[in-house]
Amino acid sequence: MKISNKVLWLLLMLVILLTNGMSSFGLRVLSGWGLPADIKFPYLTIWYTAGFACIGIPMLLRGVRGDAKSAGWSALMAALSIAGQVAMANALNSGLPGNVVFPVTIGGSILVVAVAGRLFFSEKMHPLSWTGIAIGFVAVILLGVS
Amino acid sequence: MAYPLGALMINAGLAMCLAGALSFGMLACVSKIAERKKCDPSALVVGLFGWAALLMLLRTLTLAGSVRISWRVVAVAILFGIFAAVATFAFQRSIEIGNVTVGWLIMNLSAGVPTLISLWAYSEKFTLLKLIAFGLAGLSLCLLFQGNRLEAREREASSRVGP
Repeated sequence: MKISNKVLWLLLMLVILLTNGMSSFGLRVLSGWGLPADIKFPYLTIWYTAGFACIGIPMLLRGVRGDAKSAGWSALMAALSIAGQVAMANALNSGLPGNVVFPVTIGGSILVVAVAGRLFFSEKMHPLSWTGIAIGFVAVILLGVS
Repeated sequence: MAYPLGALMINAGLAMCLAGALSFGMLACVSKIAERKKCDPSALVVGLFGWAALLMLLRTLTLAGSVRISWRVVAVAILFGIFAAVATFAFQRSIEIGNVTVGWLIMNLSAGVPTLISLWAYSEKFTLLKLIAFGLAGLSLCLLFQGNRLEAREREASSRVGP
């Protein structure tokens, strides 16, 4: 059965919505158990390894082989992801409250992507989508503040 | 002119926030560039999680004391690590057929899901601000889905007219 790109996109958005937010919920569970702060490093090692295996095993079974190009881009992605986390942790350690750090960091990243999408990737969007992005931007900031 | 230490720390904190915003924003942009370079989405996610796991392992090995982790922590890490990989794969796949801006916004709007679960599981307070945030998030999703539908219709119409 072949599904259209429109339906596939909707399904992918639904998957992102349900799984991405939940992925960080484990840290909330750990904090609820009152475990020491250092536990997050071995926790994240297992967390990343599980994700690696979850996509890597089916990839191997399908016979898809990684190449140097993908390895290079993914290394840059990993570096940027960790740089973002470290910057956010340092901002929190500097004494700024979480309700300033999270909205500025996450809201700022959405602005960076929106500008880059328009200027560098020539993404065309319906005015309704732009309105949705503007309202979503406010919603993300309010979620961070609250 | 001397600045109080507290003010300097806050300024450094804000600079860190901006560095974080730039790093996360660049992460989404690099994902899009990799997609344009025809990298396989699963290879990218495997690489991303593999490199990050390696770095976290090195960080764990340099911890001063030994950290004991229980099986329930391992189980939680595996479950939520799988969620993260599935989300990253879905994002990488979605930017092949849709806009990176919309995909990235949905990634960030998904923070509402654990907030909702926390309200129920940990009996956290449901404030007016949260209510407004959820209302706006819902409205935003409706507009994005409707906008995407109209964009697809416009693309279909323009491909039918042709050169």
